[in-house]
Amino acid sequence: MEAVTSRRLSSLPGRRVTTNRSVLPSTVRIAGTALLVAVVYYLGARVGEQLRFLPVTTSVMWPPNAILTATLLLTRPRWWGIYLLAAFPAHLLGQPAARPSTLAMALFVTNCSEALIAALTVRSLSDAPGRFDTLRRMAAFIVGAVLVAPFVSSFGDAALVASFKGEPYWLVWRTRFFSNMLTELTLVPAIVVAITQGLTWLQHASLRRRLEAVGLALLPFGMWSLVMLAVEHSSAFRASPGVPLALLLPALSWAAVRFGPGGTSVSLLTTVLLVVWSGSHGSAPFSTIQLAEGILALQIFLIAVGIPLLLLAAVIDERQRAQHALRERLSFEELLSHLSGAFVHVPARAMDAAFESWLRQLGEFLGLDRVTLYRFSRELGEFIVAYSWSGPGVAPISRVSVIRDFPWLVPQILREQSVGFSRLDELPLEAAREAETFRRRGVRSNLAIPLVAGGRVLGSLAFVTVTSEREWPDELVQRLQLVGEVFANALAQKEAEEALRSSEEMKSAILASLASGVAVLDRHGRIVEVNDHWARSARDGGVFGAEVGVDGSFLGACWKAALDGVAVAREAMIGTESVLNGSRTGFALEYAWGAPGAGRWLALSVVPLKGPDGGAVVSHTDVTERKHAEMDAQRSRQELAHFTRVSTMGELTASLAHELNQPLTGILANAQAAQRFLDARPPDLGEIRAILSDIVDDDKRAGEVIQRLREFLRKGESALSLLDVNVLVRDVAKLVSSDALIRNITISLDLAGETPTVNADRVQLQQLVLNLLLNAMEAMTESGREHRRVIVHTRLTEAPAVHVAIEDGGTGLRPGTEDLVFEPFYTTKQSGMGMGLSIARSIVEAHGGAIWAANNGTRGATFHFTVPLTRAKTP
Amino acid sequence: MSIEDATVYVVDDDISVRRGLERLLRSAGHRVVTFASAREFLDRRDIASPSCLVLDIRMPGQNGLDLHESLAADGRDMPVVFITGNGDIPMAVRAMKAGAVDFLAKPFDDKELLEAVRQAIDRSSRARRPSPAPRSTPAQREASGS
Repeated sequence: MEAVTSRRLSSLPGRRVTTNRSVLPSTVRIAGTALLVAVVYYLGARVGEQLRFLPVTTSVMWPPNAILTATLLLTRPRWWGIYLLAAFPAHLLGQPAARPSTLAMALFVTNCSEALIAALTVRSLSDAPGRFDTLRRMAAFIVGAVLVAPFVSSFGDAALVASFKGEPYWLVWRTRFFSNMLTELTLVPAIVVAITQGLTWLQHASLRRRLEAVGLALLPFGMWSLVMLAVEHSSAFRASPGVPLALLLPALSWAAVRFGPGGTSVSLLTTVLLVVWSGSHGSAPFSTIQLAEGILALQIFLIAVGIPLLLLAAVIDERQRAQHALRERLSFEELLSHLSGAFVHVPARAMDAAFESWLRQLGEFLGLDRVTLYRFSRELGEFIVAYSWSGPGVAPISRVSVIRDFPWLVPQILREQSVGFSRLDELPLEAAREAETFRRRGVRSNLAIPLVAGGRVLGSLAFVTVTSEREWPDELVQRLQLVGEVFANALAQKEAEEALRSSEEMKSAILASLASGVAVLDRHGRIVEVNDHWARSARDGGVFGAEVGVDGSFLGACWKAALDGVAVAREAMIGTESVLNGSRTGFALEYAWGAPGAGRWLALSVVPLKGPDGGAVVSHTDVTERKHAEMDAQRSRQELAHFTRVSTMGELTASLAHELNQPLTGILANAQAAQRFLDARPPDLGEIRAILSDIVDDDKRAGEVIQRLREFLRKGESALSLLDVNVLVRDVAKLVSSDALIRNITISLDLAGETPTVNADRVQLQQLVLNLLLNAMEAMTESGREHRRVIVHTRLTEAPAVHVAIEDGGTGLRPGTEDLVFEPFYTTKQSGMGMGLSIARSIVEAHGGAIWAANNGTRGATFHFTVPLTRAKTP
Repeated sequence: MSIEDATVYVVDDDISVRRGLERLLRSAGHRVVTFASAREFLDRRDIASPSCLVLDIRMPGQNGLDLHESLAADGRDMPVVFITGNGDIPMAVRAMKAGAVDFLAKPFDDKELLEAVRQAIDRSSRARRPSPAPRSTPAQREASGS
């Protein structure tokens, strides 16, 4: 027998891959077999000597040839030489002393040639030369071993005997042919069947079968006794040996019908031995027959009866096995269909019980001792016992046992191969660890089927016997692979459900851990699920003061709050609705709730659920702390901005003094001129009126300077208003014009034709432009007079935004510092904090714009910034 | 030669200052001509004599000190009273060295201005009479030395 390694049905249907033969040391085995062959050959020769109808010297049957044939049919051709050689001494030993040794040796050659011809012919004709259980196998045996081999080899025999002894050639040929035919026919199947099946039959046959076999064995003797009696008392029986022989047929027919080719061959052998023995010992009815012809007739009779009986037995056996197989297949298919249906509608929690139940049913159906389902853990790289059933009286497998003791078996299972063995000694040498483990666990035969689903090995199904050895024929392996597929699919389904459940659990855990209230809405705005935080905050007032939980309508709650005058609730309702109907991909708002000062800031965001059913997820978060932090940051920013404005003003003091001095000078000169005009006689009242008018204008002008200054230094919240950037640039240029004058710098404006209107904080934007202008003027301290020029450009871009560029003729930026200049405290000046450009950047960014600087091609640098023309959000 | 015959030229970029000064000087009996920039004044070729120049220092384009120096360089030397919004000492020193009659910080009292103008006109009148050894201004020395 051979260990079985099968691939999965789907990958390699019906093929078997042979991995190994027995590991029992083959030299011992072969030597033992050779010794047995020699002994049996010798005994066969001795028995053959006895089976003679003296004085005819030729044996009716000559067992040695058939013994060799049986040996060759049961063994592999590579060892044939050894067994044949082993028979040689036995052959010489069994020869009559008178026979010349050359003849003895030559006869051994012809004996061997018969066995070789028989074995080779049968091997070429039969798919299983050692078995006679189908019509085809039996026919192959009869043609090869019973007809062809004796026919051919008898020529050699006859030639030898004729030349050595001078006997007539054809007579010898005929004698040898029929004698060998009868021997091959009766002895070979009996030997082969006894060796291959005898032990199993003796172990497994029921008592009834045993009794029947005993009855069958006794019947020929009984019949023969009757025949003896009849021969003595009736001349009819003495007339022909055919009649008494016919009385032996019932026993043979019984054997053919009930015991198959094995039983038939044994029965046939018994009958033949009985007849020949009684004939050769002078018992009736053969004592009277014409010897040589009588023996021939007897042989032909026995052959003629034996061949059809053996064929009949094979046919019957084949048919019975086919029927049995069909019955077994039907019941197995029934089991399989129940099995595959069993897992279809089983919920995950009932899976365990279903697995246990089916392992038991399989084990009972197959008559096994233990069936175990291992799951392959990819994390551990090991197979772990998941479910196991053990038959009555069999120790259950330990639950925690992990099969790390199978280094040879596991890789094969992972390659999706089935591995089976019928006896421990079938395991190959590489499987020494396995053999040791199985032996320790008392396992006598085992079949492991991989459980494959979705292209990966999920586990393995192990079928085990511990009380007896068991064979795993192909057909059974294939069926169990089908069972394996059902189990694998069930296992995959279970894993998928477990994965789903754990993902559900993870979702719940995530929802529960969120610091925001989360509600899931269906497509109509009805709440289908909320997390703990939502439920808690619902009790504390919820969204817009509306307590709304599962099954409540979120949209309804918004609507109610909107009716109560909560403006933001209306906005939330419209936004949520547009997310639900798909017209917006998301919606978010922040609102204050509660008493001013003590209230909370809350953020509401709605995102759509992308799925066939639609819906949305609303999250509601308390952002009070963030909001306070933001407001603190803004306050700090404003304070810093104010501080820098104040310090900027310090820098501008001289030019501001100049700015104020001009109207003051005009006022003073005008007023004193007026005094003089008043002293004149008559006073020139027209002149005085004009003077007073100028004084008023100058005073206003001085007031404006003060006003501008105050506005610039104002400390306050940022306030958005619509501003014309051109006007703003012009104002700031005016503010620094005196400074420019002092520094001998020309400021020219290159303003956009269209009005660039932005929604921005006036003070911040003024400071932005002022900082950049002062920075440009600073840069030109070292420049020659002809380069002391600042140009301010304003342009509209496509964005749409206003792009302001302040171009100077100064020293330019050191390469690589274009971005650095906007960092806080970055300065190249001896005095100065390095905050001007940093503040400029924060102002631009707060307005959603961009700021950058670049050196001009020829001289100096240009600072750019943009501010979007339309703004939706508060900076 | 009376003060009334003299012409006072005023150069200041600021219209308020120009108009105030013009009235003040007129009230004191001067003939007054005003200019908004150094360029305008330089373009004026027929400068009366005696005369004086009331000159703002801080102006866009050519400033007052530059104008004064270029006048000296052209040989159109005339007495100058500087007025300035932010009088710093170095500037005043430079102006006086260049031969300025006076240096007044805005805003200034009418008496100071009128006194400075009177002195300037005096100097202008004296300059019209031939002088055996004409006093050269520092600006002239600089110019001749260059």
